[in-house]
Amino acid sequence: MPRLFPQEDASDVRRRYKPDVIKGDMDSIRTEVLDFYTTLGTEIIDKSHDQDTTDLHKCVTYIRDFAPDLDKSNLCILVAGALGGRFDHEMGNLNVLCRFSSLRIVLLSDDSLIHLLPRTHHHEIHILSSIEGPHCGLIPIGMPSSSSTTTGLQWDLNETEMRFGGLISTSNIVTGEKVTVQSDSDLLWTISIKKL
Amino acid sequence: MLPSQRKRKITISSLSFLFGFSFFPRRPLAMDLMHHSSTFLLPTIPSDHRPSLTAAQLRLCADGGANRVYDEMPRLFPQEDASDVRRSRYKPDVIKGDMDSIRTEVLDFYTSLGTEIIDKSHDQDTTDLHKCVTYIRDFAPDLDKSNLCILVAGALGGRFDHEMGNLNVLCRFSSLRIVLLSDDSLIHLLPRTHHHEIHILSSIEGPHCGLMPIGMPSSSSTTTGLQWDLNETEMRFGGLISTSNIVTGEKVTVRSDSDLLWTISIKKL
Repeated sequence: MPRLFPQEDASDVRRRYKPDVIKGDMDSIRTEVLDFYTTLGTEIIDKSHDQDTTDLHKCVTYIRDFAPDLDKSNLCILVAGALGGRFDHEMGNLNVLCRFSSLRIVLLSDDSLIHLLPRTHHHEIHILSSIEGPHCGLIPIGMPSSSSTTTGLQWDLNETEMRFGGLISTSNIVTGEKVTVQSDSDLLWTISIKKL
Repeated sequence: MLPSQRKRKITISSLSFLFGFSFFPRRPLAMDLMHHSSTFLLPTIPSDHRPSLTAAQLRLCADGGANRVYDEMPRLFPQEDASDVRRSRYKPDVIKGDMDSIRTEVLDFYTSLGTEIIDKSHDQDTTDLHKCVTYIRDFAPDLDKSNLCILVAGALGGRFDHEMGNLNVLCRFSSLRIVLLSDDSLIHLLPRTHHHEIHILSSIEGPHCGLMPIGMPSSSSTTTGLQWDLNETEMRFGGLISTSNIVTGEKVTVRSDSDLLWTISIKKL
């Protein structure tokens, strides 16, 4: 955070962008970082006893269960720094999308945005061409798809079968402002993010 | 103690550079055993922290991978003249792809050096990496390729759809040994048709690892050598997959009813 605001005092920037919660198994956070945010009042939730779920999974669980009386019908969880680095971490993050398929979760990296398109719905994806695209893809994560249909892509699918080991839609191109997708299987949607 | 390695190196480049080399012969068993080892990660030149590209038998760049080789190779040898590095040491034998990413000056440079340029821009059904792997598979058909291993550098990071396309190449060419490399991780496919023994070189890889059922759930996977071993465990996206696991020794064994991706972290030197 301080590097994004080089003209400002680092401590001031960090105070402005204070996390409300730090949750996980605490095997990565540095001691001075933990102490800094603890003194600022950040809630620290140590789940080091739980080695069955990833840190992201733990955080999504927290959000899902947070303030149960709150209307979360429009909840969207944005995960920054979700890609790159270790590949197993990346796959663990994709799996969180699949495990919480009823929640809107968007994974972000410098280059791409990913979210799940559950098979239970038809999907309309509104493209903001000033900030995303044109490169995109649809990936049958976890299960093959016997039939997927799209509009708004350069290479649209038409009841097309997709599977790893066969066809998956990568290096596709969005052709307009709207993409529609329907499939018999959960698909990952990914679109490139434009450099500003 | 690892069996000795006959070096048959084929280099192809995907986003950057790919190279391959020979591997261990398979021993026939009730189900064939496949051995895996990452000796290609060992530096062969003390001053060079990268694997030796010069030992590769064939080097390909997949379209824009040539840009990366052109730009980045001289940075590895800052004391040397950039043109010399590009010309004499790290010239691709082939550049193949749909040619929509390679810069004109890069294409011209390698063309003048004699690199074979294979323009497949009419083929929009396969990725540039796929085209390169096909080239290798079909290259010199009389050559004994039983020990072929294809190494893909620059395979991860960047655009997510490219990454998925690269994983799909592993799945589409499941009978070939293909290893995807990034700065942080190494990935290869463990086909369900074999039991697998993965020899861990702890000086250069690990301890973090993972097993992922790509494309299809797995009803039953069994491992040894991991902190959290699988024991006829079911794995699927949306349920359990093995990530943030830890290798506990020098050997990991895996068998599964489904193709799995094996990944292990690469140590920073």
